[in-house]
Amino acid sequence: MASMSADIAGSYFGYLLQRTFLGEARRETKLKSTHIRAARRMVDELQALRGPAMKIGQTLSLQTGTLPDEVLAELATLQMEAPGMHPSLVRVQFKASLGREPEEIFKSFTLEPFAAASLGQVHHAVTREGERVAVKIQYPGIRRAIENDFNLFRAVSKPAQASGHIPKAAIDEMEQQILAETDYECEAYNIEFFQKGLAPLSFVKVPRVLREYSADKVLTMSLVTGRHLDDFLKRRPSQKLRNEVGANLFELFYFQQLNVEAFHADPHWGNYLFNDDASIGLVDFGCVKYFRPESVEYLRSLCLYPGATDSADFRRLLERHYEQVGEKLPPAVRRMLISFADNFYRKVYPPDPEKQQLFDFGDAAFLQDYLRESKNLFRTKGVMAEFIFMGRAEMGLYQTLHRLRARVPTSHIVRKYLQN
Amino acid sequence: MAAKKKPSTKAKPRSRAVPPRPVGRRAQNKEAIRKRIVTAALSLFQTKGFDATTTKAIARKAGIAEGTVFNYFKTKEDIALHFFEQEVDQAIAAVRENPRLRKAPLEEKLFTLVHSQLEFLAPHERFIGAAFIHALKPASQLGIFSHRAQELRHRYVGFVQELFEESLPKQQHSPLSWVAPEAFWIFYLGALLYWLHDSSPGKQHTLAFLDRSLSIGVSMLKQGKRR
Repeated sequence: MASMSADIAGSYFGYLLQRTFLGEARRETKLKSTHIRAARRMVDELQALRGPAMKIGQTLSLQTGTLPDEVLAELATLQMEAPGMHPSLVRVQFKASLGREPEEIFKSFTLEPFAAASLGQVHHAVTREGERVAVKIQYPGIRRAIENDFNLFRAVSKPAQASGHIPKAAIDEMEQQILAETDYECEAYNIEFFQKGLAPLSFVKVPRVLREYSADKVLTMSLVTGRHLDDFLKRRPSQKLRNEVGANLFELFYFQQLNVEAFHADPHWGNYLFNDDASIGLVDFGCVKYFRPESVEYLRSLCLYPGATDSADFRRLLERHYEQVGEKLPPAVRRMLISFADNFYRKVYPPDPEKQQLFDFGDAAFLQDYLRESKNLFRTKGVMAEFIFMGRAEMGLYQTLHRLRARVPTSHIVRKYLQN
Repeated sequence: MAAKKKPSTKAKPRSRAVPPRPVGRRAQNKEAIRKRIVTAALSLFQTKGFDATTTKAIARKAGIAEGTVFNYFKTKEDIALHFFEQEVDQAIAAVRENPRLRKAPLEEKLFTLVHSQLEFLAPHERFIGAAFIHALKPASQLGIFSHRAQELRHRYVGFVQELFEESLPKQQHSPLSWVAPEAFWIFYLGALLYWLHDSSPGKQHTLAFLDRSLSIGVSMLKQGKRR
């Protein structure tokens, strides 16, 4: 428990402690009587944790099934948030990374942030050439804070690890992904990778990295336009526009998985920007999951599988994937995977759709099916670590499609990317 | 530990470093020499260590006679103290001369104060470590018991008191507000020690430490005031 003694600066938990001192976090203390309200309060508390603890909470709630479904879906879209930085710290952090003050480098720089990022905050600036940009600045010492929190979590979750409720591989996977977000060089690479990869989709806008204005703790990108989902919906977009946006979002998801073989794995709503021409701006590429080619092949073989799910061939497909990583597919996991295919995937995108097939995501039943099936699957403790982030991204996608009440030609879109 | 060089009897040492006065070429020359001595001394403190540095070596490095050194500083501790006075002066100026900070929250002002101090000390880190140990010796002029060091501390604490008064609501007295400025001095020494031991790239952990601990400290103080 060495990390217990980690100093206050070195932990998101420390940040939580600070908030408690501030009294801000002292919200309702009475436990609400209804299940939903209590669960919502838990979402609030998890949001208050802000750091890796929140992400762990997201994953855990899925595995333990303690939360009602609609709250679970809400949880998937929470954003990890670092403590805010005052202008003096912003300046110091900027200078520490780029060697000069922001005003010496940019034509103008707004000291007040316009958005919170998972590990810092984002500021508006204008370059000497007159281009408006977004400058993401990282909170100091964040990497160690994450490591400390994970060490602490590993220590306190020993019993749950022993019982298999929280697989060690899952904790490692989460830590690796979250730590990767602290690496802005890596994020710059991700952005460039996706810019190339997503170029065939004209409706997706990905920022451009301005390398000359970026370093290890500062990432400068071209500004991507659009509204956050809430603002977008407030303007009452027509069904036609919502359908188009929904179809684009859906296509973006499958295009990433099956064609780019990597996906933007942070489904937080702040990361998606919607426009009236149905185009989608994608920001924050800190959390990106790259698939192994075998995994993509596996997904491709499962999508719109034409035969029966109780056939020997389908079973073989599932088993082969587990064998590739030297594991044996437990019968309980197999049953759940088949149940998932039958009760969700085949309903949402049938393998033999009608010509004008449209799936109505406005109907809440599909979301409940998804949540029930994924909870059952996670409870078998047999989900491969690789798919943890995909599960979260998928839940974020469905939650967004449901809020858009979009009608989407699901099967037709998926089919486009099955032939490589 | 090298023996402390006694001031030469020929040179009539001044009892205290004279603050710079912008009058005439003579004063300017004097100030330039003072700067040369301090720069030479700091460079030697950093490379050879504080204890091993003699006033003779400082004079040689500065390109002046040893006696001239004594016209400006009695001992090498005097030079070090002069340096620490500069550290405090420029940090106070960094807070006062930034118009944006006038309306900033207290924690940001305090952050700027301490960070400017650390930034000033940064090129001389090795010497600061040695000075820290030296300062703990009761007989040392750098020590917290020496008269001149106390004066410096009073100035610093006085400035912190000013910041507290202008930034915190003046309601009831809190038991904390009596001790807070003095406690801040101790906090600064702690932060300095943390900084000296911080091996993270760019001393990132110190920045986080300062930011978080100042936020907590100021909020505790505010809560104390509200009672």
